[in-house]
Amino acid sequence: MQKHTISAIICLAGALVAAAIAGASFLAMRKPDLIVRGPGVTDVKMLSDWFPGLKGTPGDTEVYILKGADDGASMLVLGGTHPNEPAGHIAAIMLIENAQPKSGTLYVIPRANASGFTANDPQEGAPQSFTIQTPNGPRVFRYGSRATNPIHQWPDPNVYIHASSGQTLSGSETRNLNRGYPGRPDGTLTERVCYGIVQLIKKENVTITVDLHEASPEYPVINAIVAHPKAMQLASDMVLGLEMQDIKISLEPSPVNLRGLTHRELGDFTDTLPVLMETANASQGRLRGRTDEALVLTGKDKWYVRAEKLGRLYVPYDEKGHPLEERVGRHVTAISELMNSWNLEHPEKPLEFEGLPGYEDFLTKGIGVFLLPLPAKN
Amino acid sequence: MSQEFLLFILMVGVFAAGCFALKWPVSVSMLLAAVAGALAGGVQNPIRHLVEGTFGYVDTILTIATAMMFMTGFRDSGALEALTAAVIRKFNKLPGLLMILLTFVIMVPGMITGSSTASVLTAGAVVAPMFASMGMSALDSGALISIAAILGMIAPPVNIPAMIIGGGIDMPYVGFEIPLILLTFPLAIAFAFWFGWRNVRKVDRSKVVESLDFSALNQYGAWRLFSPLILIFVLMILDKTVPRVFGLGMPLIFLLGTALTWVTGKRFEILKSAKKAIEDVLPVLGILVGVGMFIQIMTATGVRGFIVVNALSVPPALLYVMIAVSIPLFGAISAFGSSSVLGVPFMLALLGKDQIIAAASLSLIAALGDFMPPTALAAIFAARVVGLEKYGGVLKKLVVPGLIIAVYGILFILFSKQIRALY
Repeated sequence: MQKHTISAIICLAGALVAAAIAGASFLAMRKPDLIVRGPGVTDVKMLSDWFPGLKGTPGDTEVYILKGADDGASMLVLGGTHPNEPAGHIAAIMLIENAQPKSGTLYVIPRANASGFTANDPQEGAPQSFTIQTPNGPRVFRYGSRATNPIHQWPDPNVYIHASSGQTLSGSETRNLNRGYPGRPDGTLTERVCYGIVQLIKKENVTITVDLHEASPEYPVINAIVAHPKAMQLASDMVLGLEMQDIKISLEPSPVNLRGLTHRELGDFTDTLPVLMETANASQGRLRGRTDEALVLTGKDKWYVRAEKLGRLYVPYDEKGHPLEERVGRHVTAISELMNSWNLEHPEKPLEFEGLPGYEDFLTKGIGVFLLPLPAKN
Repeated sequence: MSQEFLLFILMVGVFAAGCFALKWPVSVSMLLAAVAGALAGGVQNPIRHLVEGTFGYVDTILTIATAMMFMTGFRDSGALEALTAAVIRKFNKLPGLLMILLTFVIMVPGMITGSSTASVLTAGAVVAPMFASMGMSALDSGALISIAAILGMIAPPVNIPAMIIGGGIDMPYVGFEIPLILLTFPLAIAFAFWFGWRNVRKVDRSKVVESLDFSALNQYGAWRLFSPLILIFVLMILDKTVPRVFGLGMPLIFLLGTALTWVTGKRFEILKSAKKAIEDVLPVLGILVGVGMFIQIMTATGVRGFIVVNALSVPPALLYVMIAVSIPLFGAISAFGSSSVLGVPFMLALLGKDQIIAAASLSLIAALGDFMPPTALAAIFAARVVGLEKYGGVLKKLVVPGLIIAVYGILFILFSKQIRALY
């Protein structure tokens, strides 16, 4: 056998072994993390129940319904719009596993972009999951991609053209759920998921929609709430409520010329009052150092500390970082305050829930104590 | 000395040792550097990371491979030679105008697709023999094709680095047309004269036409011979203007063009031609795969953050120097990657400037990354289409133009508000 043939066989064998190991790792991402039905959950449906076009697709996702004994307003909470922003996903799970409804209905979609949870962004070096310790043992959660898995929607065009406005963005944004609203029934998978969420909002007449996000510390809109003009009063009241608890949050109006986002399109195309919330997540930033589970959980990063000293950040950053419990605490507390603000103005149509941990609870006790035990394996 | 700095030195050292001491291919050296970084940096599940990093270039690899197949088929059908003969016969007496015209022709595919590689491998390859016929040296010709390609990538309507930078600060890609025209068109005209005019004015124009071969053109006719190229351009334009109807994507467009070359000119073995094209381009595709692994490990180990924060650490007065130096240098890995990793943080540091002009200027500077080895896509392919085995000579020719382009971009940032007031 010639020398180069032997070399080729060795290289091919090496490539096959690498492909098998990496392939197994990629396939494992398709197994979703487990979410436990809390005492307040009255029903679990799929998004395809509102838009059958999603049935059987990787975009279909669970909708947890927590319906109170008394009628009232309704709220939809979107977690996991960007699966590399874990505080939004975990905050949604906190609602599912802890909230107990009294009046009104809560709809929670913890994996708004379910496809995005099945992959990581190439060249971002992100972990595939992170583990939260609980009194009942560890629970593992997926850390995914900002966008829909290219296996499910490929190839990207060079330029993404937003369907209803004609706005152009770079091609990879075509898989970004928060650039695809109000969506199209015959569009890309991402646009169909957007359309499904819009159908849920319209058919259930959802009063308030909250989209939970995180931002990199160098991004100007951070520790912030972005509100559509018609939700501005509600958001202002919420900000005051958070300030009373010594939680600093800024209020930003939804830009008119930035299209495809929840806080703009859901307000323009439906009757819901949409807001979007951001916390500080180092693991998605461009200035971050070592990227691993520890960074996701603690937010401790020496390069962000240095960048803060250089005046390059929009959020205070020191050696303590911004741990996940702080970020989840901000989201959950903000949702509680949003309900309080609504109830103050609309006592005739209340939205009342109990059992949600407060901000201090998260800071002092952590997240794990508020996660329910997983059902025993058969 | 930070751990990230040591890892960076290790990775660059292994790469350099592989390339220069052991004379291994660039792609293999990149792979070994990434493996060394992953092991020394304690990256968990390193094989998954190495494989995942390569996926960042899947679309680029498909585009390059199919574009090469198309250009090889177009050449083997006799169309390339015939096109050169036809154009030179028409414009032989107006060489100055022809130089500018051909420079803009090279830019067009980049303007439509946002890819400098598309410009070089389509229009660049078509224009290269024309430059040669007009008396340009291969080095000058390669340099001008490279420059026109990156200017085409930045010129409107499609500028992907600007979209990436804008996306990072939630700025829509709106209102960029005039700044991008001001940034690219004057440079294109200036460099067309720089590289072209001084060469072509020395040539005896009467002998140029005599040396051309018109046989294929006479046998098959212009429309039939050039129809694959026309098909490519029409499909590219339809792909952008009505993407929901004709959204075929660049690889499929090139494959359709390749199939057409088989029946429009001289008969040739299409499978043999396609195989030759892939053999020619394989080293470059390997580099992209290696670079994908390298950048993934840099990110996972924190080396990327170390580079970005240090680039931002300079005093305000040196910020512009750092922009002009670090963004093209990081572009050695990827111009688009540099736009995201460094372009966005620098854009945030420039929020006091006119944002559209600043982002447009940063995108121009980022495009210089396509000149930077080891990827140096614009320079490598330009050298190839002008018939050079190595691209080092072309790179040398690009040093001064690259500096001019960087300074021009920085001036636009510095005077962004004054420039904005002009229109």
